Amino acid sequence: MAMKGLVFERNLARFAASRVASAFSGSGRGAGVGPLHLTDVDPPELPGPQWHRVHPLLAGICGSDLSTVDGRSSRYFEDVVSFPFIPGHEVVGTLDDTDTRVVIEPVLGCVARGIVPRCGACAEGRTGGCERVAFGHLAPGLQIGFCTDTGGGWSNGGLVAHEAQVHPVPDPLSDDDAVMVEPTACAVHAAVAAGVDTGHTVAVLGAGTLGLCTVAALAHISPPGTLLVGAKYAHQRRLAEELGADVVVDPDQLARAVRTRSRSLEASGTLTGGADVVVDCVGSDESLTQALSMVRPRGTVVLVGMPGRVSVDLASLWHREVAVVGAYAYGTENVGGLLRRTFDIAMEVVAAKGLGSLVSARYPLDRFEEALAHAGAAGRRGAVKVVFDLHARERHRGTRPSTKGPVS
Amino acid sequence: MSPRPGFVLEVDRSTPSTLFWHGEGYRLEKLPVGSRVLYAPEPVDALADPVGAIRRALDEPLGDAAPLRSQLRAGMQLTIAFDDVSLPLPPMRSPDIRQLVIEQVLELAAEAGVDDVVLIAALALHRRMTDAELRHALGARIYDAFAPHGLLWQHDAEDPEQLVHLGLTDQGEDVEINKRAATSDLLVYVNINLVAMDGGHKSVATGLASYKSLRHHHNAHTMTQSRSFMDQHRSELHSSNWRMGQLIAASGVKVFQIETNLNTDTFPEQFRFLQRREWEWTTRDRAAFLASSKALQATPDRVARSIFHSIRAPHKMSAVQAGEVEAVHARTTENVYAQQLLEVDGQSDILTMGLPYICPYNVNSIMNPILVACLGLGYFFNMYRGQPLVRAGGVVIMSHPTPWAFHPGHHPSYIDFFEQVLAETTDPAEIGKYEEAYATDPWYVHLYRTGNAYHGVHPFYMWYWCAHALEHVGAVIIVGGDRAAVRRLGFKPASSMADAFEMASDVVGRDPSITHLHSPPLLMADVR
Amino acid sequence: MSGVERLVRRARRVRPEGFPWAAPTWPVSVDRAAPQRNLGADYDTGWTRRYPARLVRAMVLDNLTRPLAHIVASPEVRGDEILELVEAPAIYVANHASHVDTGLLLSVLPSRVRHKTVVAAAADHFFDRRWKAHVWSLVLAAVPIERHKVNRKSAQDTAALLRDGWNLIIYPEGGRSHDGWFQAMRGGAAYLATRTGRPVVPVHIEGTYRIWPRGGKRLRRSPTRITFGSPIMAAEGEDARRLEARIDAVFGVLADESRSDWWTARRRAGAGETPSPRGPDASPWRRAWALGPDPQGADEDDETRWALKRD
Repeated sequence: MAMKGLVFERNLARFAASRVASAFSGSGRGAGVGPLHLTDVDPPELPGPQWHRVHPLLAGICGSDLSTVDGRSSRYFEDVVSFPFIPGHEVVGTLDDTDTRVVIEPVLGCVARGIVPRCGACAEGRTGGCERVAFGHLAPGLQIGFCTDTGGGWSNGGLVAHEAQVHPVPDPLSDDDAVMVEPTACAVHAAVAAGVDTGHTVAVLGAGTLGLCTVAALAHISPPGTLLVGAKYAHQRRLAEELGADVVVDPDQLARAVRTRSRSLEASGTLTGGADVVVDCVGSDESLTQALSMVRPRGTVVLVGMPGRVSVDLASLWHREVAVVGAYAYGTENVGGLLRRTFDIAMEVVAAKGLGSLVSARYPLDRFEEALAHAGAAGRRGAVKVVFDLHARERHRGTRPSTKGPVS
Repeated sequence: MSPRPGFVLEVDRSTPSTLFWHGEGYRLEKLPVGSRVLYAPEPVDALADPVGAIRRALDEPLGDAAPLRSQLRAGMQLTIAFDDVSLPLPPMRSPDIRQLVIEQVLELAAEAGVDDVVLIAALALHRRMTDAELRHALGARIYDAFAPHGLLWQHDAEDPEQLVHLGLTDQGEDVEINKRAATSDLLVYVNINLVAMDGGHKSVATGLASYKSLRHHHNAHTMTQSRSFMDQHRSELHSSNWRMGQLIAASGVKVFQIETNLNTDTFPEQFRFLQRREWEWTTRDRAAFLASSKALQATPDRVARSIFHSIRAPHKMSAVQAGEVEAVHARTTENVYAQQLLEVDGQSDILTMGLPYICPYNVNSIMNPILVACLGLGYFFNMYRGQPLVRAGGVVIMSHPTPWAFHPGHHPSYIDFFEQVLAETTDPAEIGKYEEAYATDPWYVHLYRTGNAYHGVHPFYMWYWCAHALEHVGAVIIVGGDRAAVRRLGFKPASSMADAFEMASDVVGRDPSITHLHSPPLLMADVR
Repeated sequence: MSGVERLVRRARRVRPEGFPWAAPTWPVSVDRAAPQRNLGADYDTGWTRRYPARLVRAMVLDNLTRPLAHIVASPEVRGDEILELVEAPAIYVANHASHVDTGLLLSVLPSRVRHKTVVAAAADHFFDRRWKAHVWSLVLAAVPIERHKVNRKSAQDTAALLRDGWNLIIYPEGGRSHDGWFQAMRGGAAYLATRTGRPVVPVHIEGTYRIWPRGGKRLRRSPTRITFGSPIMAAEGEDARRLEARIDAVFGVLADESRSDWWTARRRAGAGETPSPRGPDASPWRRAWALGPDPQGADEDDETRWALKRD
């Protein structure tokens, strides 16, 4: 089989074109004119003895990938990305030449970059906070999937990963389950960062992949007193309820639902009471404004999922002493005094909640424009997670009892 | 020419299409041959000298009561309570009846030298009236003399300082009413009677009451036992209010009741085709109908609403009586029946009705889906004496656009009720478990007391009003309504009247008998 | 960068910040006396009595104020024949219920009086800001008069004006009525009459309370009636108090005449039965009730009022 991959080149004109196209026709539709194209690729070189080759089976399309493809990502990331790169950081594949399945923990920290001594964050296991992502013997890159030296998931030429980044997949998990582990790990990290207590009221804005995984993670790790979710589409609402949400409503009804549950009064467009924690899985001006309007004074708003340039009136945040915290990637979590790797917790959550059923559509690499358009319009088209199927071999269905998937 | 009585038309092939209200607009629908259309009696004549009639009524009271003049003396505490903005419908042209009556009462009070006078809008759990609405109802002279001095009050049912508990009736019902009204030397109540349910002991026992009192008769059980609530002899709502009213009288509250009847001359000249029988429409009427209905279809909702809500009705007082509550109300009820009653033979399988843009609870406001249901299944369905116009298990078809739209200032608790409670259940007997939370929610209480919002519990009352109908009929269909809103109400949406009849046949069988309630004006059916 | 900031940036290129473009700041170590503020009773209205200002005022009064007064207030004037016989300058005392009183009264006075009249206006209300002082002294020939404090200066200035030949309009109540009835008089008018010996012409203005009352937010058209009474001269060596009582009595009769007619008022005056211009001694609602029904009848709705301030 020819080694083909989707390569993202630095080309300003095409960057701009994809920005316009996605603004005009919708997210993911800029793929046809943008700097992403399908081409022959050589498998990447192994950078060192502790590195392994991974042949992707399934590679997911994430919201940050879509932002990159649309040309909408913040310029903040320019220094920590090296061109040309192959995107794809949500990967389940086979290790070297064996049949062992692994998932990738894509963050390229000090260990992967061979930097000794490790930076403070990496020493504590918080690879997501690594300060050296632009240094070391690898080209700059936050993660596999943003680095020119490592390759990425959206190619059947394979990618390379450090042994610290490789997690074996237990047999009971299907391929679909495994490809959900990375996004679930983001959700788990956010759920822990939210610091939810039993008895708390938690509201989740956004019920796409990240929102639904966050619901699952909260319900499994630290179930709150009341979990409210604002979901726009019927299939998202059904899934949110199945995964453990107590109240699922349309996003514009969410503020009212929070108000009645907390029995607060309203003033200046915000509630006098409100939810203890609001998790924003959307990352837009409107969602952050909405989150600030329904969180209680001294409550917490957790930003999960990559935001762009957002313009928000912070008066209510200052006046009500609200904390806004970012939750990025994963590493090691402190759960009840025990230090565990986020990916391990994520695998538990995926298994317990059957999150593999969130994979709604699989596309081969040569239909990448359709795949990205579908991922960009996932909610409207009744889908949750869209993945690339690299056709390496017959899909492993796992030994868990199957659950019904979303309506595509 | 004296006004003609109402009559029942049997539709034949020569009958023209029938006018149906459709919210802020109207339609002509063809009813199948054999349908019955109920036409109301024409409006009775208005009083030629209303002020003189009022003076006579005050000087010659009915029942066991002395003339008002003799009950007024210097140094006493006088309270004048009056019906709020939910009457009359539509709001009448200046001068409003309340202005005429209260001016005469105040003339007598000024002559007697009464200094301590307070006016109270008896709104129970309805919304507070705006200054413009108060000024329209009372007239500039009364408003300017009382409002700037803080002597024009709006009943606040959530202020414990302003309420007094008078005791329990023999059925264990709390009677808690406005303290100023209860402790004054004389309470004068100024009522406008639009339908048979208004007036009598209900004026004070409901209009000046608190939630604690109201919940005893504003509930699903009372409403299902009121068949109909317009018929005093078969209405549990009426009996409960009467018990409470008698307790109020027995507690020493002196009430001088002034009740007025309105004729049903409801719409001004340019809309007179609405009240005329279709075959009697002149060329002008037909032109007016065509021009206005086409224009309204093209107008945005907000503009259409403001056009309709600015209509001032030409209806006038047709009778006024004053004195002791029960004696006065007996006379008033006779007058209401004389104006509105129509004899109808037997029930039918389907009842159709067009719903107008206005009900008692959306004056100068938006008619949300809950109010649509209340107007149709609460008020219009219950305008009967004897038995309902539609048989048990029959179908009610209503015509209204039913937009999923709410006025956030007037009806804030309705929005939550529609989104949260009705999404769970539409059974009036089941919604009761959420009632307490809505009645005590601090935000709704705040908006009721300081804003212009209906009380938090009010949407529940709207749904209880439909309880009898919901128990009685087999299905409810709304023609031309927003599909999502109609489904949320638990009813079926139909895009046309023909489709509605098709859908109804599934419930009542082929070739159903149909009765159409033609309005305006109001009519009450005496069904044998 | 917002639009405002962009405009400011552009302006700064043409006219930069700082001295000498803007006024200089004073060094801390140098003393500076507090700035003169010349407001209130200290405001000098002399410039408004010079020819250019008088010309402007005459144009405004004749072409703007008079037509407006006739549209808004439709005044009916009684007793103005007397004015022919009054020796200028005179002191016109009127009851005060509304801000439209001054404009209305000026509009119905004959033009030779109108163009040579100053109006005594409360220094604390009309002369507290510079722009207000400029506007009212120009358009209405207002002169400041202290009503809360005893101030020799404003009284002396006004007396000087009278001696110079200027007619004076003054409201002895000292402020607008709270409920439409006449309030207790303050001593200013009587004092000036005894000092200068000029005749006092009493004027009763009826109906302006309905147009724009104290605390009102809307202007409303309503008919008015203006009744002029016979001039009163201060007797030789008469006490200001006595004169005040006389003026008060005359007001009572004028008010009665305005509400009924001249003959009825005279008969009642003769019998000593003139109703008090201060209104009945009763609760506020009864005092408002006694003002009488609306002359325009009950048909008019709130929409015919013109809003002055947002509610």
